[in-house]
Amino acid sequence: MRPLLKFSEWQLALPLGLAFVALFLAPLMLLVGVSFFDDEKLTQPGVASWAKYYGDPFTYKVIADTLLLGVKTVCTTVLIGYPLALVYLDLPARWQRVLLFIIVMPLLLSVVVRTFAWIVVLGREGLVNQLLLSLGVISEPLRLLQTELGLVISLTQIEMPLMLLPLISVMSRLDPNLRDASAALGASRWRTLFTVIVPLSMPGLVAGCLLVFASSTTAFISQTVIGGVRLIYLPLVIWQQALIVFHWPQAAVASLSLVVSVLSVIAALSWLGRRSTGYVHG
Amino acid sequence: MQQQRQSSTVATARPAGRTLDVEDVTVRYGLALAVDGVSLSIEPGEVVALLGPSGCGKTTLLRVVAGFVRQAAGRVRVDGAPIDHLPANRRNVGIVFQNYALFPHMTVAENVAYGLRARGMKSADIEARVARFLGIVQLEGFRERLPRQLSGGQQQRVALARALAVEPSILLLDEPFAALDRNLRLDMQIEVKRLQRVLGLTTILVTHDQDEAMSVADRIAVMNQGRVEQFDTPLTIYDRPNTLFVNGFIGTTNLLGGHIAALADGHATVTLDAGATLQVAAPAGLASGAPVLLSVRPEQLTLSAEGGPQRWPIEPGLSLPLGSQLVHEARTSDGVFLKIVEPRRPVPPPTGRSYCALAPDARPSLFPRPT
Amino acid sequence: MTSLRSPTRRSLLAGTAALGGASLLPRVAFAKGSLIATTYPGTWEDAYRTVVMPALKKKDDIDLELAPLFAMDQVGKAKAARGAPPFDVFVLDPGPRIVALEGGLFEKFDGKKLTNLGKIPPSLVDDAGVCVGAQVVGIAYNPKKVPAPKGWKDLLVEPWVSRLGLTGFQTTFGTSSLIELSKQFGGSLTNVEPALAELKKVLPKVAAVGLPAAMPGLFQQGQCDVMYTNTQTVATLRGKGIDIAFVKPESGAIAFFTTMHIAKGTAELANAYKYLDLVVSKEIQEALTKPPYNFLPINKDAVLPPDLPMKSLDEMTGYVQHDWAKINPLRASWIEKFNKEMAK
Repeated sequence: MRPLLKFSEWQLALPLGLAFVALFLAPLMLLVGVSFFDDEKLTQPGVASWAKYYGDPFTYKVIADTLLLGVKTVCTTVLIGYPLALVYLDLPARWQRVLLFIIVMPLLLSVVVRTFAWIVVLGREGLVNQLLLSLGVISEPLRLLQTELGLVISLTQIEMPLMLLPLISVMSRLDPNLRDASAALGASRWRTLFTVIVPLSMPGLVAGCLLVFASSTTAFISQTVIGGVRLIYLPLVIWQQALIVFHWPQAAVASLSLVVSVLSVIAALSWLGRRSTGYVHG
Repeated sequence: MQQQRQSSTVATARPAGRTLDVEDVTVRYGLALAVDGVSLSIEPGEVVALLGPSGCGKTTLLRVVAGFVRQAAGRVRVDGAPIDHLPANRRNVGIVFQNYALFPHMTVAENVAYGLRARGMKSADIEARVARFLGIVQLEGFRERLPRQLSGGQQQRVALARALAVEPSILLLDEPFAALDRNLRLDMQIEVKRLQRVLGLTTILVTHDQDEAMSVADRIAVMNQGRVEQFDTPLTIYDRPNTLFVNGFIGTTNLLGGHIAALADGHATVTLDAGATLQVAAPAGLASGAPVLLSVRPEQLTLSAEGGPQRWPIEPGLSLPLGSQLVHEARTSDGVFLKIVEPRRPVPPPTGRSYCALAPDARPSLFPRPT
Repeated sequence: MTSLRSPTRRSLLAGTAALGGASLLPRVAFAKGSLIATTYPGTWEDAYRTVVMPALKKKDDIDLELAPLFAMDQVGKAKAARGAPPFDVFVLDPGPRIVALEGGLFEKFDGKKLTNLGKIPPSLVDDAGVCVGAQVVGIAYNPKKVPAPKGWKDLLVEPWVSRLGLTGFQTTFGTSSLIELSKQFGGSLTNVEPALAELKKVLPKVAAVGLPAAMPGLFQQGQCDVMYTNTQTVATLRGKGIDIAFVKPESGAIAFFTTMHIAKGTAELANAYKYLDLVVSKEIQEALTKPPYNFLPINKDAVLPPDLPMKSLDEMTGYVQHDWAKINPLRASWIEKFNKEMAK
């Protein structure tokens, strides 16, 4: 009986496995295949697309800018999100629900709405500039749209739920007695934070960083609409090659570059995450 | 109920112990009163158990002493000096939680060293202190283990070592034995009591387990609905419960309804509804003719075959052997179910014993009957 | 054969439309015929769904299914389908039209099958397809903020340059505008270097460089007050109460035409002609000029809306037109160059 049971357990995972192969692995293989053509009509196999892409020094600047954008967004979401998660934990249940709703709200809005809302906020005649002008802090409108600063500000808000949700989920599973135990042993709040809470919330922090990094490096609409097209990141290049120039091999090369560079950062992060998870569970 | 401070010779006998005074402490959670004007005076080196059902305020009171909860009114003093203004990390109390709250990402040694590091102790001194306390709890070989690699009892000893290593002025135990299985619990109770004696630490033990309170504590504060119903030695509480609540919460008891027929110098003649007239010690405040409840422990009742004025008829029920004892069930004529315990003898008890009476050494308690 | 193939491509299209977020109306079981036509997402889709779809049902009892796809998506899907097109009719701009033409994706078009043939300027029908709409491209500005610019050169000097919103070669109107700009500095249809060089000089002053789709929003929010765009965008923004006016540059406005084509291998040839005949009819062309659609008509009988730079269709066909057969091969390198020159 036992082997039969094993077999049926294995079968249970089969639909998921097939879906994974069909929806994820196959397109990825297709992408790899397409990248090894020299011409846009996909008739000449070759490595010319790769050679052209990586022979251009501009490519490296775009890849570096893309990854750097991810790093900057991760930093700001951590700096704002972590204290927010701590505040959340200390709130009474009713206010926790209110705060959670506010946190999740960006996820409930369409990305286009979120992005255009930021144009209204950051624009030359937007909220920020009007406020600063009326307060007399500045005499000329600040340029916030079409700058990396503006882009990072808006991505911070847009990606915040992806940082906060895993963080809050891990942190609210922490034994509240740990904080009391630490305090009773004479530790200050800061010592408790850095020696107990931060290490134990690492899995949530790493998961949040991972999601924010992957999401912000690929946020085509926010990057192009808020950042403009003078800030060039990989998604813009892919879009141009795939849907404007229609050079699929070039688009495939750029896509694979994005996948590989983002995944390698993510792999490093999740390795860190696995190490810290070991302490808490298992 | 404020207790008069005993002679200070006890304090000098245990140099490490501090006095702990809780004065009129009140805690509110929203509109609810979690702790309602509680006062306790705890002697140096004394173990006091806060005993009561869940929600009675005992854990809240403990958290006030630890500094985790701020009281709405009242004061906490250690050796006479108020500590209310101090945050939890400046109070120098040791606390052991029900779930131990060990830091899961730190080794046993790091857990024990945690409080010492927080105090900025030199690492050589920390090393020595950790070794000493791991020795005290007999976990020398487990220094580098993580908490999840330890059994429940071992984890508890780590928690104890961690709390004791900072040499706290007060030790607080929050249901520390509740998660342990029965045998281990007894061992740990003895061990904690031993350590507490050796170190002479003033200790508060929060528990809902009356046996634990009886065996570990020097005095017990029985709490109910945010108030202390009685604060006394275990034996006094067992034998002379102040209130019906304490009477019911501590040990097993039988309650018999009746009226006071006569009163004379602290003694009452009680006519039981079950059909007997008894002479018992009466508390103050009862009037002649008042309805009362007579509380008698099961071991203070006896069975016999013949009736009499001080015996009342019963209808015998099941008899169950329980270890060294025999437990009888019986029903009185007014419908009260009684439990009667007698030592088990080699020969089976005689049958046909259809009368019940107080044992010769019985010390029943008398309470006004609630309306 | 047809009945066997039909469900496959219908389901394929349904999937495509679902991915595009469009809801497909349930098919009526007993309609006389059916047709799948592409449309551009956005205004085109709204207009065709609201105006053309019910009209076709009423006139010919044909159920029209609209597949919202950008021009190059249509070309890509038709190419990938290899002779079994997932739709019956294309709608394309000049650039993609050439690509599709070179790919042999169209049925040969016979204008004589249109009853409305006589109402369309002869230059707007050929053996590949028929024009169904026009775009006139020039300069738009906010008259409350800046004076009216006279020509393309004005865009690069104050007071306009610091309020200028730029787009690159992604769109037909963007490409055309940059070519015209280049011509002012000695460039030509196939040489946009002068435009890029001049732009680079003033780049730090330029108010915004964005995606074409983002430009109306940026203009609306006052991020930029001058941009090159088409009359349709100007009319749409004006309809929202935004201060915007259209200027025909001194060197001439640009005109280009959106065309429809019958997909090679279609099983609905007759219905496709009926659809195209309806689309170019006076009624539909005129209905589409109304707000909020603001299309430009190609039917001579259709009344032109007010506020346009031209008085008649003939005038429009005399505007600057570009040969996309020459532009297409260069566009990829222009896009790359634009990226590099404009990148921060």
